[in-house]
Amino acid sequence: MFVRSFRKLMSVFLVLGLVAGMVACKPTITREDPNSVKDLSGNWNDTDSRKVSQEMIQDVLSQRWLSKYTAKHNQMPTVIVGKVRNLSHEHINTRTFIADIQRALINSGEVSFVASSKERTEIRKERMDQDLNASEATRKAMGNEAGADFMLKGSINTIIDAADGDQVRFYQVDLTLIDLSSNRVVWAGQQKIKKSVERSGIRL
Amino acid sequence: MTIHSLLMRTILLSSVFLSLFLTGCMGLGSKAVSMQAELAAGRVSNALAIAENENSSEDEVLASLNKGMLRRMKRDYQGSNQIFEVAKKNIEELYGVSVTEQAGALIVNDTLRSFSGDRYEQVLLHAYMAMNYIQLDDFDSARIEMKQAEVKMMEWGDDPEDDPFVRYLSGMIYEELGEKDQAVISYRQAKDVYKSTSQKQTFGVPTVLKMDLLRSLANEGFDDEFRALKKELKMKKFKPEVLTKGFGELIVILNSGLAPVRKEVSISAVTNEVTDTVKIAIPSYPDPQQRFSARLSTNHKLVANLELVENIDGLARAALNNDLPIITTRAIARAVVKHKTQSTVEEKGGALAGFLATAFNVVSEQADTRSWITLPQTIQMARVKLPVGMNKVNIDIYNASGRLVDRIEKEILIKSGKSSFITEHWVAPNMSLVVMADKNRKL
Repeated sequence: MFVRSFRKLMSVFLVLGLVAGMVACKPTITREDPNSVKDLSGNWNDTDSRKVSQEMIQDVLSQRWLSKYTAKHNQMPTVIVGKVRNLSHEHINTRTFIADIQRALINSGEVSFVASSKERTEIRKERMDQDLNASEATRKAMGNEAGADFMLKGSINTIIDAADGDQVRFYQVDLTLIDLSSNRVVWAGQQKIKKSVERSGIRL
Repeated sequence: MTIHSLLMRTILLSSVFLSLFLTGCMGLGSKAVSMQAELAAGRVSNALAIAENENSSEDEVLASLNKGMLRRMKRDYQGSNQIFEVAKKNIEELYGVSVTEQAGALIVNDTLRSFSGDRYEQVLLHAYMAMNYIQLDDFDSARIEMKQAEVKMMEWGDDPEDDPFVRYLSGMIYEELGEKDQAVISYRQAKDVYKSTSQKQTFGVPTVLKMDLLRSLANEGFDDEFRALKKELKMKKFKPEVLTKGFGELIVILNSGLAPVRKEVSISAVTNEVTDTVKIAIPSYPDPQQRFSARLSTNHKLVANLELVENIDGLARAALNNDLPIITTRAIARAVVKHKTQSTVEEKGGALAGFLATAFNVVSEQADTRSWITLPQTIQMARVKLPVGMNKVNIDIYNASGRLVDRIEKEILIKSGKSSFITEHWVAPNMSLVVMADKNRKL
């Protein structure tokens, strides 16, 4: 009797072990809607980036700087993206929401963008190459670049309060649009996100 | 098959399996021991090759920390930060006390607990990541690492593990980024923490920091505090140095020697309940290794003596001393549990079963000797003014009796009004140089 139940117990362990092994070998993949909210660690994630960019876009397009500029110059303003400094405590990829803002502004048809300084260097190199190798008809001349009227720059800051594994994280994203001819700030956008992260002091 | 023989077989088999399993996760493991031996002999490439070899029985955090530090020593700063990031993520995942691991530690040994690094190691991880970013000229990311270290230190609340060097490094990073007000705060905190941790660090506030704090206070207009601090530090004649045109600054951070390695010490039974067949093993540090000093020179002219800013050897010893009461309590509790199982097995299964259970208990009783062994023994620092342009600098290393044991030669670009950093590692004396010095002495 004892032997039989012992063997049974051992078989259960063996099966459990095999199942555990199989589970470990094969990752589970579920496709998620890019708009869904999924918080794992409490760190800055795609939802934060999307929320900030959407609200910043709405704000920047609804303010008066745009209509004032268009009325005065009879053309749409040209904007360049400057540096968005990450002053937070996380390695945040600021490029994703800057790209979102840039795309929305371009697609609105009310603002045009010029390439960033890094991109410009690459394009200038290409033009120099064209100077030597492209045909006269297709060659793009130097010195015809469009100068930007405004620069979009900003920062991400965080304030963290932590005790005994729990944290309250406060993110503040500030973006400003600066008139390149007068250094005047024509628009200032701000977004705030507050999260509370609670961690259990006990794990399995 | 009788119950008796089945029980015997089961005990024998489980002893063999558990012994095999335990050899994999016991203490440092043979891989780490051979890596440490290569490193102690100054063969960093060999040590890195051993560390990079995947070994599933290793603790992921420990393996990543060692890999990261060795990659850094080989100046692969990006690769170092990639693996340090893995270590950081794993440490986060290991937050909290594991119920199963604690139970395992009570039955088998302490190495069944996942290694997430001691507090001083967790804070220093951010410092080394920041130094990697400094070498990659990415001061914004270095700043992020310092912020994370600050959060970590704050999180520990009532029982903080504040690291003065990390505070000092934060100050230097803020200063380099032009955030002078933040730098003052960090320098101030560093001074306070150097004072409060002087016992385990074995030294007080470094002069180089005193000068930085005084200079920052004067430049930021904290005149009253500047005067009061000059008096407090007995540096009444101090005048803040101004970086004139054509000059920049060199900050040398030398990671010297290697952190101590924990050894196992077995002690005999301590209660009447436990007989001498039960072993109690606890970790311990051997006597400290000799400390090396360093001097910075340009064009064979001495510019500065490097000053001790972090005594990791001291931090490691203090951390173990702090944990020792709980480690010992756990070891005694384990001894009682093991003794009870031995007696029960012997009673129910006979002498041989009892013998095997005792053998297993003795073999499985191992001290947890894991620690971040690729950390340096000390961190030394110098901050000097140099002319703009390429500068050839030498860092000469001297042993305790004042003999030159190695020379690090570097070329560094100094920029006007800016700071350039050297964050070098030095692990062991250059034997060829020592032999040459001996020959010259004989001649």
